[in-house]
Amino acid sequence: MPGMITDIQRFSLNDGPGIRTTVFFKGCNMKCAWCHNPETISKKNELHFYAAKCIGCGRCFEICPQKAHVIVNGVHKIDRNLCIGCGQCAETCYAEALIMSGKAVSAQDVMKEILQDKAYYQNSGGGVTISGGEVLCQKAFALEIIESCHENDINVAIETNLNGPHEAVMDLLGKTDLVMCDIKLLDDDKHKKYTGVSNSIILSNVLKLDRLGIPYIVRTPLIPGISDSNENILSITEFLKPLKHLILYELLNFNPLGAPKYASLDMQYGFGAYTPLPATRLDELQTLVKNAGLPAKIG
Amino acid sequence: MMIKFINEYPISKTFTFEERIALLRELKIKQTVEKAKTGGANEDDYGLIVQNSFEYKLKPNHENGSIYGYDAWVENYCSILESHPLYCNPLDAFVGKGFLFLERLRPAGCKWNPDYPYDDLKVLFDKYNVVSGIDNCHHFTPDLLIGFELGWGGILEKLERQKEVHDGSHLAFYDSEIAVVKAIIAFLKRMADELFELAHEEDNPTLKHNLFEMARINRKIADQAPETFREAIQWMCWFSMLSRTYNRGSAGGQLDEMLRPYYERDIENGVLAKEEAVFYLACLFLQDSRYFQLGGPDVDGKDMTSEISYLCLEAADKINIACNLTIRVHDKLDKVFYKKSVAYLFKNKQGWPRYSSDSALAEGFMKCGFSLELARKRVAAGCHWMCIPGMEYTMNDTVKINLAKVFEVSYDDMVANEPKPSAEKLYETYQKHLKLAVDATGKGIMHHLKYQTKSQPELILNLFQHGLIEKGVNITDGGANYYNMCVDGSGIAVAADSFAACQQRIDNEKRLNYQELTKHMKANYEDRDGEYIRQLMQHSERYCGGESLGDAWAIRISRLYTELVRDLNNQHPGINFIPGFFSWSNTIAFGKTVSATPNGRKNEEPINHGANPCSGFRKDGAVTAMCHAIGAIQPGYGNCAPVQLELDPGIANDDEGIEKMAAMIQTIMTTGNTLLNINIIDAKKILEAHQDPFKYPDLVVRVTGFTAFFAMLSPEFRQLVVDRVAAVNTDKT
Ligand code: SF4
Ligand code: SF4
Repeated sequence: MPGMITDIQRFSLNDGPGIRTTVFFKGCNMKCAWCHNPETISKKNELHFYAAKCIGCGRCFEICPQKAHVIVNGVHKIDRNLCIGCGQCAETCYAEALIMSGKAVSAQDVMKEILQDKAYYQNSGGGVTISGGEVLCQKAFALEIIESCHENDINVAIETNLNGPHEAVMDLLGKTDLVMCDIKLLDDDKHKKYTGVSNSIILSNVLKLDRLGIPYIVRTPLIPGISDSNENILSITEFLKPLKHLILYELLNFNPLGAPKYASLDMQYGFGAYTPLPATRLDELQTLVKNAGLPAKIG
Repeated sequence: MMIKFINEYPISKTFTFEERIALLRELKIKQTVEKAKTGGANEDDYGLIVQNSFEYKLKPNHENGSIYGYDAWVENYCSILESHPLYCNPLDAFVGKGFLFLERLRPAGCKWNPDYPYDDLKVLFDKYNVVSGIDNCHHFTPDLLIGFELGWGGILEKLERQKEVHDGSHLAFYDSEIAVVKAIIAFLKRMADELFELAHEEDNPTLKHNLFEMARINRKIADQAPETFREAIQWMCWFSMLSRTYNRGSAGGQLDEMLRPYYERDIENGVLAKEEAVFYLACLFLQDSRYFQLGGPDVDGKDMTSEISYLCLEAADKINIACNLTIRVHDKLDKVFYKKSVAYLFKNKQGWPRYSSDSALAEGFMKCGFSLELARKRVAAGCHWMCIPGMEYTMNDTVKINLAKVFEVSYDDMVANEPKPSAEKLYETYQKHLKLAVDATGKGIMHHLKYQTKSQPELILNLFQHGLIEKGVNITDGGANYYNMCVDGSGIAVAADSFAACQQRIDNEKRLNYQELTKHMKANYEDRDGEYIRQLMQHSERYCGGESLGDAWAIRISRLYTELVRDLNNQHPGINFIPGFFSWSNTIAFGKTVSATPNGRKNEEPINHGANPCSGFRKDGAVTAMCHAIGAIQPGYGNCAPVQLELDPGIANDDEGIEKMAAMIQTIMTTGNTLLNINIIDAKKILEAHQDPFKYPDLVVRVTGFTAFFAMLSPEFRQLVVDRVAAVNTDKT
């Protein structure tokens, strides 16, 4: 069964222990305002346009069946209302100014990439990380990859928002070697406001995950003014304290690299002016968590 | 004349070893800036001092103004030593700085003796852009233990004894070597005398004591064998200077094992403290940027890591300049030592140490017909090369065939003569031309061996080869134990990507035909639609892309090249030819001879570096994909196709990161690869330094196989390093 991914990144060092290959699934069931990978949100294939790379060859204008490539005030634009994401223009744009955000691949295709770095996983205690988007949105595809990895003695971690029905979530998590999940905000009103969904199901899934007995890491993205308060971090810490199989609480600094991607998709981005937290503030937050008795790390 | 730093500190000043190292380092950086401002160089640092007080005017023996053969080299070398001044810093533990290389005083273009022409070969060398190595010096490793054992006096005695038993046909050799060694002893005695004078002049008690000690040691080792740790290193420092002054002679060796007996004896006798030993080692690294190996298996497979190996790392950490240290990775390597070396690599970001793979190197060399014991003795000694100290003549890193140029000739030949061109037809043509290039190169090496004595005898390194003093011949005249001639291919990525682009875009996808491609290439892709076609070709499946068409072509080219180089053994019995992939600093010069290529490369752009891919080889720049591909193209006969990695410092700024890097290096070294050079470079810093090289005068990068101060490089070379850094710093998702 084919799945939809945005990318496969080999030699990934920040998505779990050791050296890993990260597979980015496309499509998410939340809509976090600060998401720095906007192309992973929609299940649909979208067209990125990186104008700086365009060599003005005109091929896209000729090939587009929708006539979606247009000149507005002398500037090459894409009429997003016309574009159906067929990808024909991207295929002919060798300058890589036009790139489709997703590609349909089979588990075998993914495995072909994964297997090339097997020796690295083994020597470093690494493996494969399935990330998103949201893994739960393509559960069967994820299970297929996990199974193939295990057949090849490759460890699999997943990064998930845990926003799904208990059974479905636990079914998937039970098959992985490590889970990395997010608790972004403990205040449910704020959670709804910034992610579009309630956190109640997520929190209850964390509790269930703990009962499964597999190791997991909880992470909080530190979004300035939204999730980086002492209050939010402490309340999450308190929530996590009684849990038995949590191996790490990771605080992820704000990632400012999303802006060009939003621009390439003609999407509005409200966080372009935000900057990562300074090291001193990160240290303070880490100390807060550590003082409460939890293993903490800045990621 | 003498360069001295006497009475620069108050009498009351005392110094710790740490302080002395810091002050010496500071001066070194200052001297580097001066050196860079007077021109710089795209090569090793050599520890050479730039100065105006001493000049030497060559005494030629040929009408072209150059020097050839024994007599002229002896005469000039001895004259230099007679007048070469002392450079002495009382803070230093050693003296031994040199100011010039005799070989570079010859007029440009007059290195090879014109009485031994090879015009017929030159035609082919030009056609295929071959650097033949004819006229190049040394590039093999002397065994310094010979010197440790005999001292200059013992070497002189041996020469005189052997001269007696030989007939007149060896007289030129013996008389020359004897004259040279006598000049060296006289020179060293003069240096010792001058040190005594300086010791009397110096008023600071600590420095005065140091100078007296230096003087005493130097007087002793002028003709006697060294007996202590400090004496052995002083002996090495002079050896460096003396061989460099002659012809930039290479050296190196298994540093920890060479010094271990002295270290252990001194410690046992209570005459050496550990931190003193670290200081001496730091001064050794300061004196010269020679290549040394640490760790690795001894002939029985036992790990050679010892306390002194650790001290070498500590010393390199303290002096922290361009140190060419290689760690030989094998399954029994001391794990703590290995981990520590990785931590230093990331802490200092100066490109040291680098790593070699025992299994890949030893297995390859054994395929040439050597024993495992000999294979293990073949230690890292140069930019990308290994050598058994005192036993081989190799021409390592001096012979290069531009595979991209051979591609260009083949492509032109095919489109001109083949009615139905295709990637396969192109490969057939390539086979034909590559054979012509390799065979000509083999003949060139034989020509070099035959006549090099008439151009430039190896008067210094001959003395440190097993059996040469006994046989009474220059090393190129058949006296070495083994002749393992290095034949490197350069530009493999340009050739592989070009084949892949033709196959994918023309043969398979039929996006264009050869005629159209040729037209665009002739116009340097600057004609109508040229840029579009260039992008099309450039974005085809590249070498290091990960089991791509480019990877498959690189393997095919590597197999072909290996086969052709190995076939030279049949053409020239008794000589062993070993293939490798490397470009040293020829990437720019080689690129200039090649016009636009099917991989989207434009006229005269540099070729790829060594065995590395062309930049932009993969969107995520994955190190693993790259190393996997380079591992797969190793020729596998004991010479290298090194991996050159550029990594961001942020990748390993904590213990976890170091662990990951240690695992990465270990994996690279056990998946077919032979040698790994790593630059830890902050992309922002390197860009700033590119704009203003003097902003970070102590920034050291590993350029090809060698490390160098970034400020010393030419703008073109700095650009190459910057491009490589950019290639792997793509924004990560
Ligand atoms: S195909 Fe690509 S390069 Fe050509 S005009 Fe369209 S966006 Fe620009
Ligand atoms: S993706 Fe398809 S519809 Fe959209 S702009 Fe490109 S060619 Fe037109």
